[in-house]
Amino acid sequence: MELLKRQEKWDITYTHALGEVASWFFVQIRDNAKIYGRRCAKTGRVLVPPRAFSDQTLEPTTEWVEVGPGGRIETFTMVYEPFQHLPEPPYAFGFVQLDGADTAIGGFFKGVDLSDPAKAAEKLAIGTRVKTVFADKRVGDLIDFWFELA
Amino acid sequence: MGLNRKTAVIGSAILAPIAGDGQSLEEVLYEVSQRALKDAGLSMDDIDGIVVGSNDQFDGRAISIMAASGSVGGVDRDILSTPSAGEHAFVMGVLRIASGQYETHLIVSWSPLEVSSLSEAQRLGADPYFHRRLPLDEASAYALQAAALGAAAPVAHQLAMPIVERSRESGAVAGHDPSALPEDESAGNARWPLRDGMIAKATSGAVALVIASEDYVREHAVDNPAWVRGMGWATEAAFLGDRDLSTAPALEEAARRAYEEAGIGDPGSAFDLVEITGVTPYQELIAYDALGLSRRDAWKEDVEKGRFTRTGQLPVNPSGGAVALNPVFCTGLMRIAEAARQIRGTAGKHQIENAKLALAHAASGMAMMYQTVLIFGNQQEGGRS
Amino acid sequence: MNAPRVGIIGIGQSAFKSRRDDASYPDLVREAVNIALAQSSLDLDAIEAIVYSLSPDAMVGIGNAERLGVDAVGGRNKRFLRINTGGSTGISSVAAAYYHVAAGACDVVMTAGADKVGECGDSQTVLNKIWDPIYERPLPQGTITMLAMSGIRYANKYGMSEEDMARVVVKNRKHASLNTNAHLRKETTVEEVMASRYISWPIKLMDCCPQSSGGGAMVLASERFIKENRLDAVWITGVGHCSETYYIGDRMGTGYTADHGDAYALGNSFKRAFKMAGITDPRKQVDVAELYAPFSNTEFHAIEAAGLAGHGEAVQGVKEGRFGIGGDIPVNPSGGTLCTNAIAVTAMIRVAEVALQVSGRAGGHQVKDAKLGIASGNGGDHQFFGTMVVEA
Repeated sequence: MELLKRQEKWDITYTHALGEVASWFFVQIRDNAKIYGRRCAKTGRVLVPPRAFSDQTLEPTTEWVEVGPGGRIETFTMVYEPFQHLPEPPYAFGFVQLDGADTAIGGFFKGVDLSDPAKAAEKLAIGTRVKTVFADKRVGDLIDFWFELA
Repeated sequence: MGLNRKTAVIGSAILAPIAGDGQSLEEVLYEVSQRALKDAGLSMDDIDGIVVGSNDQFDGRAISIMAASGSVGGVDRDILSTPSAGEHAFVMGVLRIASGQYETHLIVSWSPLEVSSLSEAQRLGADPYFHRRLPLDEASAYALQAAALGAAAPVAHQLAMPIVERSRESGAVAGHDPSALPEDESAGNARWPLRDGMIAKATSGAVALVIASEDYVREHAVDNPAWVRGMGWATEAAFLGDRDLSTAPALEEAARRAYEEAGIGDPGSAFDLVEITGVTPYQELIAYDALGLSRRDAWKEDVEKGRFTRTGQLPVNPSGGAVALNPVFCTGLMRIAEAARQIRGTAGKHQIENAKLALAHAASGMAMMYQTVLIFGNQQEGGRS
Repeated sequence: MNAPRVGIIGIGQSAFKSRRDDASYPDLVREAVNIALAQSSLDLDAIEAIVYSLSPDAMVGIGNAERLGVDAVGGRNKRFLRINTGGSTGISSVAAAYYHVAAGACDVVMTAGADKVGECGDSQTVLNKIWDPIYERPLPQGTITMLAMSGIRYANKYGMSEEDMARVVVKNRKHASLNTNAHLRKETTVEEVMASRYISWPIKLMDCCPQSSGGGAMVLASERFIKENRLDAVWITGVGHCSETYYIGDRMGTGYTADHGDAYALGNSFKRAFKMAGITDPRKQVDVAELYAPFSNTEFHAIEAAGLAGHGEAVQGVKEGRFGIGGDIPVNPSGGTLCTNAIAVTAMIRVAEVALQVSGRAGGHQVKDAKLGIASGNGGDHQFFGTMVVEA
């Protein structure tokens, strides 16, 4: 029998409040090209990206701490498959523990030739030192900066 | 049949509306959870499990409960979620405690206003096979239900505005100023027979409750717990066309179970107050009937003679109810929190003095599809005395 | 207090496929419900309450799609609610159904659901939206990349090659070839897996689960009901849940609670279920395991979290054939999530499959003399973990 199909598209926009902590963090990135974390007073751990509270201790964080611009790769991947509304492959991204931070922040890795996955993976291995590079034009988002090999 | 053991509400927090843009959703969830814990005099270390309820399309997050892991206190703890309704999170928490595997639970539901159109987000709930092309948001469904009720019981049209006025007066006592609320313009527009003001504009909100087992309450000598004396929940069919919208058989069924468990024979005289989820006065009227509080033929007299005012024989929605303040997805859980607070004597400005037995009704989905009834008492067993 | 025993008396699952253009979403739910009811010798009237199993709405493209499922499960005027813990939804739903009975709320409860992942234009685009919009969504994070990053940490910590990953695929595809309900049933080789294209390094196409369509349903009942009606049952003797932080970046660095390379909270979830079931030595006591692992590398840390191998030892165990049918403790004899993933019910099928195994009704992929089985589900961003012990 004739089986019908119907195409439906969801198109809704959301305006998410960032709150005071993330707002201040992104303003520093946008205006001063600096990355800050928040310290949990109970454990002394510095959360980067900054959160208003620690989900380990459930205590509010109390202090801004500048971190980076150097750091070490904690994990990464290289994407070779296209996905709708995601960047054109190949690209590499992952998480970096910036100097002075206890947690890792996500970002793209640039300046590494991804054409040979095995060779690229060696260059991006866990523990590799990287530096933060900021875009000239910054809008106050996570993609205002990326990481390159130090 | 009754549950294997009793549960009580021992703490709660209501943040509605959520003020301004000063907090991210996770920060709101952290605050409401911490406040509920403080109200209960507990810390997160005392909590065995968490159940949350939220709506992906309202939140703009594909699995919106993921935001609750760190913020609510779920790291290394046990979380379930009931995205069908905020009040279902409460039901699930009570069942988990009654199972004997948990002594305490934190229940959280929230409803932000970050979507460009709440109405559009609600319309995605219409199935793509038959109904998606219709402008079926929650306000439209409430209007269709109001029209059906008006046809079956024309007196409903006469009583709608008096109910709205009573709700606003109670809301004012409770401290809600409807003109000051941030609101979503797309949801809550008048649709015949609903007139302007009969349906509250949607607002943001978050609600948290701490519940504990009878063993925990006894061992920790918890002050003034609000005991869950009866609980019922049921669903209507999904398609509005399959239902007689002027009635609420699922609510009758939910109430029957709750009354049976609580040993209530005459609901009309059993309660010191009730909190009803009537997003418009028409839904409130349907609930009167289905809950057995006031049958259709008694509505006119009961409403006009003030039986349901805060000083009347059976105060309905001393908080002002959903007509005064409507944090859409957590409105049902808010009614549960309000009723429990009345029993605990912590309702604040709108406290009904000496409240000993209260009913909370929660409804979610299109035209009150999901119906839930909770009965709270200041005693673990027995009557109202 | 002692909770009443809860048994599984009916199981229904579709033969999973890429697309089911012959069936609407509720039709698929009903298909599984009918099978489960027939197996339990009950009709819909006997079902007192329903736990609806459905993960992200966006995956089926219908907001609160559980409402559309109410008639498919015969839910009108019955107790009905929906559970969602992402990929672990299915096992969380079985747990929620379990609590209905254990609480004394009812004697017979059904959990059911379905998914049509094949109808979702691009599941990774939807799944990117599970991350917080402030810090991790813009990356662009996805479930494949997230678990590739877990695999890289695992490999760095314990040693794991791409060939090791491929051996998991070969094992599970072989198992799936014996299971008529599995989606990907073609056997494969390490060479074939290694030759498939990279999706997110080190995960290649054949290291990934498919996008499946189909339904699942289970009927649970109290011991009293089962005895009074002389029904066949297997018993849920352990139930656990545990969660990790939302932020991937918080599972690394220094002083973290969970390492993103491991499955920390899955381990704690299993500890809770094992404690309840009285399991003290899983390597000796567990006969069969169905562990949620949508990408080949994640089966290693799942095996370890279940206590079936020490940290970093699962790789060698798979190499030695310990976790294949005929080995010490067969893991994913159904072919597992790697060969079938209809997200809303995937973790339910894990429980259903161990229930079939311990009742001796698993068919072509039956594990000989299986009496005690364990199941798990992972949801969110490797965040929510549900576990269960099922015994004959």
